[in-house]
Amino acid sequence: MSSTAELQKGVIKEEKTEIVVKVKRFSKERGEWWQEYKLAVDRFTQITEVLRRIRSEQDPSLSYRAACHMAVCGSCAMKINGAPRLACKTLALDLVKRYNDNVITLEPMDRFPVVKDLITDMTEFYDKMYSVKPRLYPSPQVLEDKAQHRLRPEDQRLLWKYAQCIWCGLCVSSCPAVRIDEKFLGPAAHAKGFRFLADPRDTIQEERMKILLDSAWRCTYCYMCFEVCPREIEPVEAIKLTRTYTPPEGMSEVSRMGEKHTDAIKESITKSGKLMEAYVYGKAYGAGAIRDFVYFLASGRGKYLLVREKPVNNISEVKKLMGEAK
Amino acid sequence: MEKSSYDAVVVGAGLAGLMSAYYIAKDKHRVAVISKVFPTRSHSSAAEGGIAAYIKGNSDPNDNPDYMTYDTVKGGDYLVDQDAAELLSNKSGEIVEIMERWGALFNRQPDGRVAIRYFGGQTYPRTRFVGDKTGMALLHTLFERTSGENIDIFPEWFALDLVIDDSKRVNGVVAMEMKTMNPIFFKARAVVLATGGMGMLYRHTTNSYINTGDGYGMALRAGAPIKDPEFVQFHPTALYPSDILISEAARGEGAILKNVNGERFMTKYAPHKLDLAPRDVVSRAILTEVKEGRGYPGVYVGLDLTHLGEKYIKERLALAYEAAKTFAGVDAVNEPIPVRPAQHYYMGGIDVNTMGQNEEIKGLFAAGEAACVSVHGANRLGSNSLLETLVFGRETGITVSRYLSATPELSVDTNPEPILDEAYKFVKSESGVPFGEILEKLRDAMWDRVGVFRDEDGLREALSTITSLREKVKEMYVTDKSGVYNTEFFNALEMRNMMDLAVVIAKAALERRESRGAHYRLDYPKRDDANYLVHTLAYIRGNTVEITTKPVRMTRWQPEERVY
Repeated sequence: MSSTAELQKGVIKEEKTEIVVKVKRFSKERGEWWQEYKLAVDRFTQITEVLRRIRSEQDPSLSYRAACHMAVCGSCAMKINGAPRLACKTLALDLVKRYNDNVITLEPMDRFPVVKDLITDMTEFYDKMYSVKPRLYPSPQVLEDKAQHRLRPEDQRLLWKYAQCIWCGLCVSSCPAVRIDEKFLGPAAHAKGFRFLADPRDTIQEERMKILLDSAWRCTYCYMCFEVCPREIEPVEAIKLTRTYTPPEGMSEVSRMGEKHTDAIKESITKSGKLMEAYVYGKAYGAGAIRDFVYFLASGRGKYLLVREKPVNNISEVKKLMGEAK
Repeated sequence: MEKSSYDAVVVGAGLAGLMSAYYIAKDKHRVAVISKVFPTRSHSSAAEGGIAAYIKGNSDPNDNPDYMTYDTVKGGDYLVDQDAAELLSNKSGEIVEIMERWGALFNRQPDGRVAIRYFGGQTYPRTRFVGDKTGMALLHTLFERTSGENIDIFPEWFALDLVIDDSKRVNGVVAMEMKTMNPIFFKARAVVLATGGMGMLYRHTTNSYINTGDGYGMALRAGAPIKDPEFVQFHPTALYPSDILISEAARGEGAILKNVNGERFMTKYAPHKLDLAPRDVVSRAILTEVKEGRGYPGVYVGLDLTHLGEKYIKERLALAYEAAKTFAGVDAVNEPIPVRPAQHYYMGGIDVNTMGQNEEIKGLFAAGEAACVSVHGANRLGSNSLLETLVFGRETGITVSRYLSATPELSVDTNPEPILDEAYKFVKSESGVPFGEILEKLRDAMWDRVGVFRDEDGLREALSTITSLREKVKEMYVTDKSGVYNTEFFNALEMRNMMDLAVVIAKAALERRESRGAHYRLDYPKRDDANYLVHTLAYIRGNTVEITTKPVRMTRWQPEERVY
């Protein structure tokens, strides 16, 4: 009998390490609790495989989502040792090494309501993705097959970077701006929105700007999305690029303020080579800033406003860089 | 049970399912799409290398659709229905152009037209691609397109079984919302099963965890046959040890397989096509090298990309590079990637004609990997599966639409309750076998005895193991009694689907006493056209598997020796 089994006999015996997996569990009936599992893993064991083995060999009731095990389907987003990650893209022993601890904790993603164990309700995430009209609206000639698209390779490359979002939700789960500002669409929707905004084949650019521009100025540039994205989409970069678009008609209050803020920073740097916060604040918020200044003075910290910012020594160099040299 | 009425229900929201739903809805029929995962999580997203297409004016000047059909027929070791393969080739250009129009970001030539690359078994290069995430790019494009149409999508709903009336006609499907565990009878005159493949039957597979062959089980229980169930594709280059797919695109772009002595061993097995021979040939070559002691310690060989250069690798084979680095700790720029064969695709499937229609159960349709239109025969060529999902997804959608226009509303309701009672047995019992115990034994039995190399003794042993495991399904019980997103309950239902298919595969593999394409019998190493140039049809009748045959449709290509 020479079956595939026999061929498998020479398998390298990988050294196994015992790990403890602590899972934060939840069910509607029982509420929340922590449960521990022990199992042996080798250096290539993914967390998805850890979960599969727990479910198959120890506790069939453990609930989680997982599908492709190669970081393209976006199912297995969760908090691993406190950090938002894809379970499939995380190797158990890498964590053991990095944290110098053989205990690994698994929790559901932040921000989204927990449904069962590691499964969260992502309805709000999906709704925001749909709100950016995530589809190409080509010209009628193309749809009727009277004309064909061409796309420059460099455009394809730029768009593809943002089209690779796998809707996993990790960026949104870790985004502080989404948490406090319900009008902010969030990093994933912005990456998706920009992918179509910048597509030369699309025909509804004006509408897209209406959807995206106001929201783009609500991002705080904290770079958490940049940090956690398992596909290295860099959603914050899409937001930056979106801000460079000029809206077809009147700007929203937020984007007007945003642009004034940017201008004020530029002016501050050009003048002094420094970022003068009080100056920028006054410039960007204009009359609205007066009230804040009054409060500030009243709090007895007025001297900070009075500090005169001297220009840096080589200010002429700075002006040259800023394109203002005479 | 609550009832919801539609004209048609599509089960599965991968490429085939969404494409057929799109074309059903286009004619203003009311259509529901039920999927146990959110659409972008479907296994279509894992397809990497590309989609084959002959595009007029943008193909190799020597190429034409007939070469494409010929490659497909020969690749499938002549078990291909040639009219189906012709349709696949003839519509390939059109389908890629539709996806392009809908915004798919295909890689481009410098002049802005869609680029091409070589794939295994192709006479001329004709694979179109989006880096090596083509499936993901196409799935997102199609899902985003359909999300703007009048289609009711039910994500994270689990389909239990088809409702069939006494005259063998589809009345709908029973499905359950996974979050609330609320069952609904989706009444419909037509059901499209687009539930994808079944890799989880095997210990080693490149497939998603969700590929549990649900549609095959549902079809079998409804009395429909699985066609050519013995044909299971093993992809030659799964990453060792995680079984993550390293796309054939790697070899299409010039990667070379090497044994432990650094020899390019494919020169022995396929002197002309070398590393780009079809997958069955390469998988057997790798395992033969290993068996004869020329594998790396363990069971793998090396896939060498190093001569391609860092820039090229990172742009065109980004996923392969990333997978090797993340999951095997190998930097493909400097060293060969460790690979070995793993289950990858199922050529067999629900028996349908070229319009996606099952001819035994009225109103039953299937598309994509769940279906067997017989375009792949005994072995599928790389980049033909994405193509099949879209071409036959569309054909099926169009057929369903026509069927609906010609078929009156169902007058009487068939009682769907027995389906639910059957399913609830697992939660009601207080003791028995948890699904995992059955599952792990099944995966070993399939991998060990119904794998790349098969023989009479092994298959008999497998069949008896599987039969007794299938008995155990009746004793299966669900420990978790939670009424919210009870995954264990759904895992149990998946287990039932897997067992119904497994027994059919083992039986059909035993009965085909020849070697053809991916079905390789050590005891019958030659192809036997006199006795076996026929499709297998397998039914489940109670506890037994019934096997019959069906002729292969040939148009222009007579069987010839298959050398590469």
